[in-house]
Amino acid sequence: MSYAYLFKYIIIGDTGVGKSCLLLQFTDKRFQPVHDLTIGVEFGARMITIDGKQIKLQIWDTAGQEAFRSITRSYYRGAAGALLVYDITRRETFNHLTTWLDDARQHSNSNMVIMLIGNKSDLESRREVKKEEGEAFAREHGLVFMETSAKTAANVEEAFINTAKEIYEKIQEGVFDINNEANGIKIGPQHSPTNPSLPGAAGQGGSQGGGCC
Amino acid sequence: MGFFLEKNMLSFFLRIMRQRSGGSSFVCVQLLQTLNILFENIRNETSLYYLLSNNHVNSIIVHKFDFSDEEVMAYYISFLKTLSLKLNVHTIHFFYNEHTNDFPLYTEAIKFFNHPESMVRIAVRTLTLNVYKVEDASMLTFIRDRTAAPYFSNIVWFIGKHIQELDTCVRNDADHQSQNRLADLVAEHLDHLHYLNDIICLNITDLNQVLTDHLLHKLLIPLYIYSLSSVRRQSESTIESATQNLAKVLNRNVNITEYPQQQYEFANGKVSCIVSLFLLSQVFLIISHPPLVHVLAWIILKSDRSMLEKGVDKLLECYEAEIRRESAGDSAQSADVLSTDGSTSSKENLVEEPKNITDEEKERLVTVPNDSWGVADKPFLETIFNALDCTENDYTALFALSLLYAMANNKGVLPELIELVLRPKKSLISSSTSKDVKYSYNHSLVERILHIVILSCQPPCRVRLVTLELTLKLLIQLVMCDGKNILSEAHKASIDSAKSLSTALLRNFYKSEEIFLDMFEHEYCDMSKGSLNVEWLCMDSAILLPPTGTPLTGIDFTKRLPCGEVERARRAIRVFFLVRDTVLTLNGEVETQLPLTNPQTSVQIDQALDLNNSDLIACTVAWKDGKSKRRFLVIDIMQLILVEPDMKKMGWGVAKLVGFLQDIEVTGDQDDSRCLHITIHKPLSNTSANRVPLLSAKFIFDDNIRCMAAKQRLSKTMPLQLLQGPILWTYKEEQILYCQNCINGLLIWVALKSLKT
Repeated sequence: MSYAYLFKYIIIGDTGVGKSCLLLQFTDKRFQPVHDLTIGVEFGARMITIDGKQIKLQIWDTAGQEAFRSITRSYYRGAAGALLVYDITRRETFNHLTTWLDDARQHSNSNMVIMLIGNKSDLESRREVKKEEGEAFAREHGLVFMETSAKTAANVEEAFINTAKEIYEKIQEGVFDINNEANGIKIGPQHSPTNPSLPGAAGQGGSQGGGCC
Repeated sequence: MGFFLEKNMLSFFLRIMRQRSGGSSFVCVQLLQTLNILFENIRNETSLYYLLSNNHVNSIIVHKFDFSDEEVMAYYISFLKTLSLKLNVHTIHFFYNEHTNDFPLYTEAIKFFNHPESMVRIAVRTLTLNVYKVEDASMLTFIRDRTAAPYFSNIVWFIGKHIQELDTCVRNDADHQSQNRLADLVAEHLDHLHYLNDIICLNITDLNQVLTDHLLHKLLIPLYIYSLSSVRRQSESTIESATQNLAKVLNRNVNITEYPQQQYEFANGKVSCIVSLFLLSQVFLIISHPPLVHVLAWIILKSDRSMLEKGVDKLLECYEAEIRRESAGDSAQSADVLSTDGSTSSKENLVEEPKNITDEEKERLVTVPNDSWGVADKPFLETIFNALDCTENDYTALFALSLLYAMANNKGVLPELIELVLRPKKSLISSSTSKDVKYSYNHSLVERILHIVILSCQPPCRVRLVTLELTLKLLIQLVMCDGKNILSEAHKASIDSAKSLSTALLRNFYKSEEIFLDMFEHEYCDMSKGSLNVEWLCMDSAILLPPTGTPLTGIDFTKRLPCGEVERARRAIRVFFLVRDTVLTLNGEVETQLPLTNPQTSVQIDQALDLNNSDLIACTVAWKDGKSKRRFLVIDIMQLILVEPDMKKMGWGVAKLVGFLQDIEVTGDQDDSRCLHITIHKPLSNTSANRVPLLSAKFIFDDNIRCMAAKQRLSKTMPLQLLQGPILWTYKEEQILYCQNCINGLLIWVALKSLKT
């Protein structure tokens, strides 16, 4: 399927905060868990539409990188966007954000868009981190913030798409060097920058695997 | 649900894939994704074993998918990575077949190690590391015997190719046009080094041997180190014959290696001295595996021309012979240390120092220049030393310094090797009467280093701040031993003259910069935030391009030359601080006099002050908006303080507003002789561009006498002892007096402002 741009994302945060569930919720709503059973996925891709352009989001899970410095560096460097996730029901996952952010800032290219996500917003009764605290952290570090629930799908769509919008804006402003694939952005195979409107750009924003099974 | 179903599913998947092969990539993607989810979410070990037990997974791994499809590739490699995360001593047998000597998960994955998509490459690397991590002897043997040589030599070859690209980029970009591209290439090289280091850190002896061997023979020595020998400024006559010999030797070596063509390319293509020094610094900053870095350091520091001309293999033989010789003569210790990476504590105990040695004694003991550590006949060391020459610019010097620093601080390089070269040497001399400690250091290197320092302190400013900082960092390491400096008198004199030069350089800017004092304080704050991190420095590709002055390149201030008068002033200030700090460290002292406006000694808002013996002037402060408050005005040496009486303690006051005297503007009132208009600005060092006044108000005193007193205090409160220094300048009509107090070389500036009226 042709696209104007491909954005590579990574999802980071402590284990158990629901990174892979967020990803699965975004890429394939079909797998939405009926029970409390949590399943996740390490890689996913989906087409979205921004400003009338088809944009493919490729989300790479960084599982297994913790033990190896080379892997951490490379992942950060190869991504245009990062979702930094914590679990609102576990205070320690919020406390570790600074470490994650330091790592991200050190290894990534300075243009990487980072979105802070407080996940599991459906578990209001077990909440340990106030929404205001997340907001304050985001403000302090210049991040966009959102609370999501991978279970109910609340805000999941928005989290991924808003991040993409910000990357897209940076491209328009000329901040990202789009000819340099190391930034985590790729220009689509058939797309020429002089031809902004692609055929069939509208109305295809849904899950790309929708028709199957 | 049962496992039966799952078993059927896998074979069912396989059937679909095979039927539709060449057909729908869409189906393949769905299958791979489903498998991915399946394997990733298995929590139960037994079900995992069951899923794996039919060898269907291996059939899926070797299936010829359409890898030209981006989507298929991404899902496929993610699937393999997911599987690799499930590897352990039990599951490994489902993937590695000992009898058929077959390990498709690994062998299929490494086919993509150089895939154009970076995420695919990362997945492959993660997978390989996950595989190596499994402690299964027969699997590791398989890896070593069947795949290590080709895989590692491929990696090594691509790194070599990669750095030649990097070299071309540096050579062709004097104008800083392709900074992005260069940044990428540098980051990529770091990725490679970190990956190799991650493998090495898994501590698999067999694998490390193969890897170290490949790196030394095919990359680090022939390409990185030999590139150093091309820059020989003095001995042009020998250059040609030497390089010819080299080529001959390397070509001969070529025939006996597995990858002749690749080796041949390297032999012909050297990289520039700049690139080679930069990359070697990275190697020493990242990798600390003794069998690798110690050899490299030995070759750089010790090998002579005759060894070098015989080629890489001979060079390594020389090294081994040397190690054997040393260990034979030296109670076999260094060899032990080398092979086991063990501690060297026993060695250190040999040189226990007697304390309480006086300075004079020390002086006497310091050896005078010793030529055994000159560069005579050491081609690589000679290149590094020549690179330290900053007469024209500091382009190469920065890299030479980084490399020396990196070698000196690498834990894998044994202390014996760098002692006396990059660290001070301490030895016991037993004379008939007493035991003495003899300190010695590398005189010729320190000489060159001091030359850089002296040059930095002179007006043409050809040395960048980062170079000076690194130079001084290295100097400290070279001559500090047991908490004392062991510099010779001549070298001490050089340092002292550098100090006075830096002061003189700074003096040029008192006059020209209106905000000199603020800049001075601001730079100090900025510099105290942290010292230079050499590893981070060597991650910055910007330093690979020739030094430039313009900030338009986006290069950090410290990593370029100053642009314009203000930046020259900033540079002079920083040079002064750096040299001052070094002198303090060399003398074992700590900074007690900077910053000038020490927050601890200056009065803070809400601080309670004992004002029993102070001159207080009562006044009413009237703001522009009509509000007014009754306050007492206190003026000390540095600050104006507005206080209100402390309710708890008689005679005490609480500071409600403080401002530094240099930040204050005072004008009289035309109509009322009891009034002064006072504006207090925020210190420049605290704020960015917009300078909003802290206070701008009318001060109404009880009578014109008190008003005059306040005026006087604001202008002439300077205690006499601070006015001993010469008055340096008068600015506009304001008569700002900067006075200098030269006691102990400390400079104190105090701004005095007299009233215009």
